[in-house]
Amino acid sequence: MKSRSAILTALVILLSMSVLVFSAQAQEGDELVISPQPCAEPGTLTMWVWDENWATIIGNSIELWKTEYCPGAEVELQVQPWGQYWDLLTTNAAGGELPDVFNMSQDRFRFYAENGVLLNLQPYFDEYGVDTTLWGTGLVDPYRWGEAGDLYAAPVNWDTIAIFYNKEMFDAAGLDYPTADWTWDDFAAAARALTDPENDVYGAAVYAEYQAGYPNWIAATGVTPVVDADRTMCTLTEPGSLEALNFLKGLYDEGVMPSVSIMGGTSADDAFNFWASGKVAMITGGSWKLSQAVDEVTFDWDVVQLPKHPETGRSRSIVHAVGYVASARTENPDLAANLILFLASDVGQRFFAEGGNVAPGNPSPELQQLWIDSFGDTGKNIQAFVDATEDSQGVTVFGEIWDAINSEIVVNIFDLDIPVEDAVAQACAVVEEYLVD
Amino acid sequence: MRSALLQWLGPTPLSRRHALWGMALVAPNVLGLMFFFGIPVLMAFSTSFQRWNAITPPEFVGFANFRRLLADPNFHQAFLNTLKLLALVVPGEVVLALLVAVMLNQPLRARNLFRTAYFLPVVTSTVAASVVWTSIFQPRYGSLSNLLAPLGLGEVRWLVDPGLVLIPIAVVAIWQRIGFDMVLFLAGLQAIPAELYEAARIDGAGRWQRFRHVTLPLLSPTTFLVVVLAVINGFQIFDQVYIMTLRTVPGGVGGSATTLTYYLYRRAFTNSEFGYASAVALVLFAAILLVTVFQLRIQRFWVYYEAGET
Repeated sequence: MKSRSAILTALVILLSMSVLVFSAQAQEGDELVISPQPCAEPGTLTMWVWDENWATIIGNSIELWKTEYCPGAEVELQVQPWGQYWDLLTTNAAGGELPDVFNMSQDRFRFYAENGVLLNLQPYFDEYGVDTTLWGTGLVDPYRWGEAGDLYAAPVNWDTIAIFYNKEMFDAAGLDYPTADWTWDDFAAAARALTDPENDVYGAAVYAEYQAGYPNWIAATGVTPVVDADRTMCTLTEPGSLEALNFLKGLYDEGVMPSVSIMGGTSADDAFNFWASGKVAMITGGSWKLSQAVDEVTFDWDVVQLPKHPETGRSRSIVHAVGYVASARTENPDLAANLILFLASDVGQRFFAEGGNVAPGNPSPELQQLWIDSFGDTGKNIQAFVDATEDSQGVTVFGEIWDAINSEIVVNIFDLDIPVEDAVAQACAVVEEYLVD
Repeated sequence: MRSALLQWLGPTPLSRRHALWGMALVAPNVLGLMFFFGIPVLMAFSTSFQRWNAITPPEFVGFANFRRLLADPNFHQAFLNTLKLLALVVPGEVVLALLVAVMLNQPLRARNLFRTAYFLPVVTSTVAASVVWTSIFQPRYGSLSNLLAPLGLGEVRWLVDPGLVLIPIAVVAIWQRIGFDMVLFLAGLQAIPAELYEAARIDGAGRWQRFRHVTLPLLSPTTFLVVVLAVINGFQIFDQVYIMTLRTVPGGVGGSATTLTYYLYRRAFTNSEFGYASAVALVLFAAILLVTVFQLRIQRFWVYYEAGET
């Protein structure tokens, strides 16, 4: 009897332990993707974010952490507006007074990692039993650093790209609405049919600078856009890049796409505004534009995944994820890591999913559905953005290169009519200067 | 020692008290200038001899930043662009401001209203104004294009074409400075005694001759001041470049709109090369100083001071 109860007790303990392990890793059913853990010892942390709305959402999340998981802890949450965020971060890093926890973007990560400013979170993920591959590739790969590819950030959110299209223009042209299995050829045919020079209406505008523009087309050919993953070479002169850019340039030459000057700028926002004013039928747009589109666009519209490349059969969205990182010089590394784990967990991310607008970085299907529902009963195919995370490409271009060539290559090809081959050669010459350092 | 200090303050107790009061009153300004201007300027000097990314400790590199400047084609281009802008902006603003000032010195109806209108751009935020001007220069939908359409110019890509982009930037810079220069000119014009004009008229001088031989020489001290200030300001054009090229290619296609100030900003805050950026700032400082000293030297050839005023 005695031994049986001992075995039973041991079994119960084992079972409950395995539940603990599973709750951190399980991918199905009602199990959590990432479970929050209680902190070892409360303390005081400072945290910076750059967005007011995020501050509210994260603030609510932190309140829950303080009551349920870390009683006695204090977090001083500050908003440093985007316009000064990076300057302040740099100068504070110089003065050795970084906040304990702060938001990071994929394209700026490298600068801070190189200078040894960030805390390696990998040991904490290991300790908490979080398998970092659960986030896939595009969301976290740009935040890996060092020989072993340690992860230095936990994703806050993700943004993907899809095609926003004007349904009324499709109706007027007698075209069927596009579906997720459409190809570049279908896209080009639709864009031509939708172009109406007499009424100053264009078929498409899909070449915007970085995330919501031309690199998506390059990625679909299988080439990592602009710079390869190791950051050793410029990929714009690769055959895939040339094919994608020449495809877009062909549509521009035919008058199907407007020039940069006509749209007024190279950014995805310029394309979006042009689309929202009814001057173009299809644009590449980010998931961050959904709430604005739902609220402000007056015509009937929908979204569809980017068209598939005819040979590779892939539709690949550029993805970007803001991350939570901790300072390498924090006095409370354990506590900072515990807070980040909580904010990235299913519990902490729920606030983002419910808040709408920002898609939660945690891949839990329940959270993703919550996010889709947060836009209300729109009848729009918002799922297209979630689907786009599957075969996605993380941001490989870092600050200086982004600034140096992204808009310039767009203007050279789609405004100054410089041949694609010359424009990419010129861009690569600049990119390689930065890669040498 | 003590008495020397007292002597320095003033000969009598009363004058000393006045001197102390005066110092107390200017102290906040002087201290502010020292802390927020003097110290950063000194730091820029020392930083220009360092390699510093603002995160890792600075490293002394001697004249390396300055040697790099000499060989940096982007810096050469920024310098040349700055000179081109100066050539457009300085004559443009001085001539136009003088014209406006002379017009608004006449007994006009609603003269003060016009003066205010011309002065408004000075107190308008450069950033806001540049945003509006950017849309005016938009090639298809901008109002300038609509105005120029009858001339058959077509869609001019003012802000993208490397050969044109400095023109819209100069236009906005001139537009923003006219009011300021106008006020100086107006003060100068009003200081010219009316008798001189009367005498000239009696001597049979026409409008142009009165302007040429009375107004211009007597206004020359003001003109000198306006030109010096215009050159100093012209060397530092930044906001217009930043805002007007922001949506297409920041700094212009191939750096065609990049001025010295814009270049040093990009080096410092985009590329985190604070040492190199400080070296650019020092060169800019030296250029302004040289040109200003040169202007002071040559003023005796064209600036006319009335007797006793020099």
